[in-house]
Amino acid sequence: MTNPSAASPRRWGLTICLLSLAMALWVLQRQLPLADLPAALWQPDLSDLAQLKVHYSWLPRFCVALLCGAALGLAGLLMQQVLRNPLASPTTLGVASGAQLALALATLYAPGLLIAGEWVALAGGGLATLLAFALARRRGLSPLSLILAGLVISLLLGALNVMLMLLQPMGLSAMFIWSAGSLSQNNWDAVLFLLPRLGLALVLITLLVRPLSLLELDDSGARSLGLSLDRLRVVALALAVFMTACVVSSVGVIGFIGLAAPTIARLMGARTLRQRLVWTPLLGAALLLLTDQLVQGFAGRLSELLPTGGVTALLGAPLLLWLIPRLRLSTARPQASAQRTRSLPLGGQRLLPLLLLGLLLLAVVALLLGQGPQGWSWSLDPELLQWRLPRLFAALGAGLLLGLAGCLLQRLTGNPMASPELMGISAGAALGLMLTLFVWIGAPFWVRLIMGFAGALLVLLVIVGFARRQAYAPERLLLVGIAISALFDAVKMLVLSLNDPRGQSVLSWLSGSTYFVELPTGIMALLAGVFLLLVSLPLSRWLTLLPLGESTPRSLGVPMRGARLGIMLLAALMTAIATLLVGPLSFVGLMAPHMARVLGLQQARAQLLGSGLLGALLMVLADWLGRNLMFPEQIPAGLLAALLGGGYLIWGLSRRR
Amino acid sequence: MRHLGLALLLALLPHLAMADTPAEPRYSRIAAIDWGLAETLLGIGVTPIAVGGLENYRRWVGEPVMPDSVQDLGLRTEPNLELLTQLKPDLILITPQFEAARPWLEKIAPVKSLAIYRPDSNPLLTAAEVTRELGRLTGHEAEAERLISELDQHIAAVRAQLSGRTLPPFYLVSFIDDRHVRVFGDSSLFHSVLVRVGLRNAWTGEDNYWGFNQAGIEQLTETPDAALIYFAPMPLNAERTLARSMLWQNMPFVRAQRVYAFPPAWQFGGLMSAEHFLRLLQEALPHD
Repeated sequence: MTNPSAASPRRWGLTICLLSLAMALWVLQRQLPLADLPAALWQPDLSDLAQLKVHYSWLPRFCVALLCGAALGLAGLLMQQVLRNPLASPTTLGVASGAQLALALATLYAPGLLIAGEWVALAGGGLATLLAFALARRRGLSPLSLILAGLVISLLLGALNVMLMLLQPMGLSAMFIWSAGSLSQNNWDAVLFLLPRLGLALVLITLLVRPLSLLELDDSGARSLGLSLDRLRVVALALAVFMTACVVSSVGVIGFIGLAAPTIARLMGARTLRQRLVWTPLLGAALLLLTDQLVQGFAGRLSELLPTGGVTALLGAPLLLWLIPRLRLSTARPQASAQRTRSLPLGGQRLLPLLLLGLLLLAVVALLLGQGPQGWSWSLDPELLQWRLPRLFAALGAGLLLGLAGCLLQRLTGNPMASPELMGISAGAALGLMLTLFVWIGAPFWVRLIMGFAGALLVLLVIVGFARRQAYAPERLLLVGIAISALFDAVKMLVLSLNDPRGQSVLSWLSGSTYFVELPTGIMALLAGVFLLLVSLPLSRWLTLLPLGESTPRSLGVPMRGARLGIMLLAALMTAIATLLVGPLSFVGLMAPHMARVLGLQQARAQLLGSGLLGALLMVLADWLGRNLMFPEQIPAGLLAALLGGGYLIWGLSRRR
Repeated sequence: MRHLGLALLLALLPHLAMADTPAEPRYSRIAAIDWGLAETLLGIGVTPIAVGGLENYRRWVGEPVMPDSVQDLGLRTEPNLELLTQLKPDLILITPQFEAARPWLEKIAPVKSLAIYRPDSNPLLTAAEVTRELGRLTGHEAEAERLISELDQHIAAVRAQLSGRTLPPFYLVSFIDDRHVRVFGDSSLFHSVLVRVGLRNAWTGEDNYWGFNQAGIEQLTETPDAALIYFAPMPLNAERTLARSMLWQNMPFVRAQRVYAFPPAWQFGGLMSAEHFLRLLQEALPHD
């Protein structure tokens, strides 16, 4: 942290706490005369509705906000402390989404398990954390790679969640609300549930204070004092995951308190671990309380519709954006050698014609083979092909563009985890489109196109703005992406929790359906893909040199700023077009370049071509599978691609062992 | 690339060969994307060949039962075009909600959009209009009139039965979870039915285009002498947690035992749904 503000933590902390309490009092006095307050709090008159509401609804909600805020703050603090990572938090590591998905699956398929909901959530959150660690391990668990892995996990789990919502829209309407973190209560159950569990966690944390504060030293220093670092880390993380799981299973996902509270505590000047252990939970509680009371006080009837967790996430994204330039991250540049994934013993360049052939074959199958009332059949019937052809073209174009964009971004940042999905450009386009759907339901395609593109462009401008200030440091670019994705996620959850039937169509687009693609659009998509491929091929030389770090390319005469900016613009344009076709959810941009490298396409030009072909292949496959797996129900191509991508990532991990 | 070019040409053919349809045809092979229209078709004696989201229809609407011959079209927002093409319907029925798919559907068969829910209109009246329109389209005008007049008679009968009794206003809700409900307001179908039989809706707050609003249960206290009707299915665990909730147990309608549990009834439907609700109302009320 570079903020040497002289203000003492006490003054700032107390101000925020008092502010939130004052807000709570204001909301309270609008509900009943203050003279009745003592009675309402301790012994409500059962025939007086106002008193009942305060005693069984307002008061437990007040307590739940305090408990959850404190717990999330502490969980975030623990994670940040043991990982020495200022960006670690329950949401950024994917813990919350893991817990959420586990609970959703239990709701649908094993409702009996919900009696011990916190353990279901714990299992889900724990698994998600392990996955994030496994993904980041190869890059030495550096702060950034861990956060990126967390983001990948969150996106993947989010995709699974969306799929459940698509197929079971009615059965899960409760989940729309709950997944966005509604704090509303009608009894003391949640408080009684949280209190003993969080109390236990607090006791355990106090026992850990001494060893944890030794972590302020570096690893060798701590070890020389006789500390088992690994065991300490595991215990502390398990505690953090447990607290998150308790919160998620009782009120749903509350975004960003876990990141904001410890960070603000530090910015306020809480230096030592002890200070932070005191101020972080207080701040977390105060922040969540303040947000929740604001929602109750100002949203009026909307207060039931606006889940507090979604609102905190909405406020959290700008906070993250503000934080990024102020963070001191290790700037160790990933080495080019780290990129050299062990490749299969296949001939690199000679593979390209094979890939092309495979793609064409797959395209023909996807076009001609399908299902009808009488089961599977090959068909040349133009009446059927008129539906399949635009979708095929769109999938080809979108896949090609995403593969190319992913390859460009990975080469640009020297980071194999970079991809359009992770840079938030897709999310930006999605935000633009979502806005359109709500302002103008029947907006024609070109309006949606413009709005989507405007969103993508806006994100791009933010990214470029940040990049300029940070001399294009790739880590920061990705962090901006994370913030934008988080913002998008919050908006998405808020929209879905409104339970508006329009939510269904938003959902279908978000999950990347090619259903509404018309033939001219499909052809345009394909042409755009081919055109942008041709544009990016001459950049091969830059793409070869850029991953080598700062000095080498410069000495070889690469105009660094121009090259980076140009590649970024190109990648952003590709992403915007692809997002409009198949939605923001798909790991094709992450997967295709990686597969290309594994297949031995190491040189920039070959990798570029290979990524494009593989991207197209994946997307066509996803579209065809989506149309046929659950016929007549159709699973959107983007969603299926994201699931394929998730599977690939996990498979790749186990293979490397 | 040559394959693609050929396929493209094939795909363009049907645009050139689209045949004109006669002026006032009587349709018989009808695909209904919307459930309200599908149930109304059954009500006038026409079995649709395909319905959107059939599985969920069976779970959430239930009555009238869709015969097994009806094909499932998948998601209502994205009815399966390939399947629909092969089923060769002569008319596709949608509501404004599913208007987005119209240009695609129109390439398969003529599309009619019939809105039961419109801003500032009484859904019971519009549902009757829609029923007449469906009768005209299918040549079942007599059956449509019969459906309308039977409902009218039924309403008059219930109204007579209830007249002279002082009944409380009713909240109409379905639970979303143990803390939130969908509460139906004055542009909902069931509200119109309540009013027609001489009862009042206890929810006077806002509602949306489809006639409902989402609310926390503690918001259901604004009309203290009200009764409450809730529709199954109940979400998981909601019954259990409500039984233990002090706020719920002390809600005026619970204390006065004015809570009625209704089986599933489609709140966004047409005359058949209205008739179904009316029947449930009639069965529930005399036992007061």
